[in-house]
Amino acid sequence: MSSVWLPCGDYHQNYVEDQGWWQSKFIKGKMILLLAIVFIGIPSLAVSPEGEYWVSVATMVGYTAMGALGVQLLIGFAGLLTLGHAAFIAVGAYTSTMLVLQFPWPQFIVDWGLAYPISIVAAGVAAGLWSVLFGLPSARVKGFYLILTTMGAQFITVDFVLTQYVSQIGGRGQAFSLPPGTIKIGPWVIESDVQIYYVMAVLLTLMVIVLANLIRSKPGRAWVAIRDNDIAAEALGINIVWYKLLSFFVAGFMAGVAGSFWVCNTAALSPEHFPWFLSLWLVGVILIGGVGSIQGAIFGSIFMVVIMELLQMAAIPIADYYPQVLFSFAYIKDMAFGLAICAFLIYEPNGLAYRWWQAKNYFNLWPFSY
Amino acid sequence: MVQVGELKEGDTILKLEDVHMSFGKVAALAGISLEVKKGEIHSIIGPNGAGKTVMMNCINGLYKPQRGSIYYKGQRINSLRPYRRAELGISRTFQKLELFGGMSVLDNIRLGRHIHLKSGIVSGSIYVGKTRHEELESRKFIEEEIIDLLEIESIRDQTAHMLPYGLQKRVELGRALALNPELLLLDEPLAGLNLEEVEDMARFILDINEEKRWKVTCILVEHDMGVVMDISHRVNVLNFGNQIMDGPPEEVQANPEVVKAYLGEEDLYSTRR
Repeated sequence: MSSVWLPCGDYHQNYVEDQGWWQSKFIKGKMILLLAIVFIGIPSLAVSPEGEYWVSVATMVGYTAMGALGVQLLIGFAGLLTLGHAAFIAVGAYTSTMLVLQFPWPQFIVDWGLAYPISIVAAGVAAGLWSVLFGLPSARVKGFYLILTTMGAQFITVDFVLTQYVSQIGGRGQAFSLPPGTIKIGPWVIESDVQIYYVMAVLLTLMVIVLANLIRSKPGRAWVAIRDNDIAAEALGINIVWYKLLSFFVAGFMAGVAGSFWVCNTAALSPEHFPWFLSLWLVGVILIGGVGSIQGAIFGSIFMVVIMELLQMAAIPIADYYPQVLFSFAYIKDMAFGLAICAFLIYEPNGLAYRWWQAKNYFNLWPFSY
Repeated sequence: MVQVGELKEGDTILKLEDVHMSFGKVAALAGISLEVKKGEIHSIIGPNGAGKTVMMNCINGLYKPQRGSIYYKGQRINSLRPYRRAELGISRTFQKLELFGGMSVLDNIRLGRHIHLKSGIVSGSIYVGKTRHEELESRKFIEEEIIDLLEIESIRDQTAHMLPYGLQKRVELGRALALNPELLLLDEPLAGLNLEEVEDMARFILDINEEKRWKVTCILVEHDMGVVMDISHRVNVLNFGNQIMDGPPEEVQANPEVVKAYLGEEDLYSTRR
């Protein structure tokens, strides 16, 4: 028996097969199909303006998913409740922007288009370390109290440090804008929706791979153990404080990468892009997608972003009759978010990932019930 | 303080010296001294509230005794955190199950290998290469040494909290063994098991104590007198934080004070035989 469903008569003969990533031909085919859709299918929509719009929606899904993966790591795997993730995305975005705009790069790095890729890694590290700083209270407090300390990260970082000081650098007041052509990866200048989409797709794929690998190796197991039972975890040789901080670092790193991706998406940057509501939003995303699963973060992002887009599309014809709808659309959006979370917590607390798992099982066994 | 590398059978592996631990005014341990010899099954018995579990927690590091010293292989370990003690080779099971409920049985046991694995976040996130090799090695160890020994092949992919109680106890023992410990603290491993499961568990304890592969020294806290008297080499009797008696099982059974404090007036074996 294996941890994944195998066709009748198909057995693993050795540990390599049993611990493999894609354990059957069917799964392998499915995953390759998924990658093909992500890397070829969706970008090829962009031939029409309508299609290009949906590509940018997919980019938003990816950005949300990048943020949500970090939250998933903290809440879903390590059991550390966080409500300040937007702060670390912001740190990443600002680090990346400052590096690209202000850092005296040697000319050859600019010519070869390495400044932005380097800044992505630097943003990850900076956000990761910043996140560790605010993860320190987790050595002492857990659960509800940790929510408050991570919220502190949000207010200190975004509302104080970034708004009051970092945003003022260069005398521009609030917003930074990146002149066209500054964001260059190798020979490509990232401008069009499709190029931005590709940056997102590559980064998101890497993140999913990294997180999935971590979960099935030593650090990931230690996180899950701390989530499930911290006393037993410590008795079995896990340095709890170290692994908690490590999870804050990795989650912060992911947030930093997401933040520096955001820079290439908008080409402008303001603290208003990272409100406390974004932190809450990301937690909502993983609640809806399913806490404790990587697919959950992705499903949640797809659901939330696409639902919001559909709402927006529905609002336009309705506005012909009730113009008020357009003016107060922001509130309708918030309401839909609240409603979705309530509905999921009551009717499907395990999230979309669980539903997906059930559906897969049903079809694996079909036409028999067990 | 001497760090002894390899202990011979019969050397002192763990030594408690005048250990005091009280919660408020309740003295859970009032000056306990005892020595555990390598290779023994050392049982600790006593009525409820005698301080048995508190003593286990002190040895393991979950509690810090207020006075007294704990020596493991000649090294004073009072100030070490529990995870450091686990790295030294002290492993344990819990009275109330403390499994990682959301993980599969295999992952629970894999987690017990934690101190033997070396990958960090970088090699872990790349996975191919070092981590993959290490995971396969550890899997081989788990399958061949632990799952085979404890006869839990059929449940290895099930979620831990879905299992029946007896199997969960067995998985917990497997997880503790995965550390490859030298000293194993067993806190009521037989509580709540039916007769067949008790016999299995006693067999496993004897196996890991006697088999050449393991040779684990066990400290056993247990209420099942039949098993305790049959498998232990040495028995300590506690009552209200005080040690009443220390000796081989036959002497303990014959001691009138022990019988009065704990075993009751009736025949000792009547509960189980």
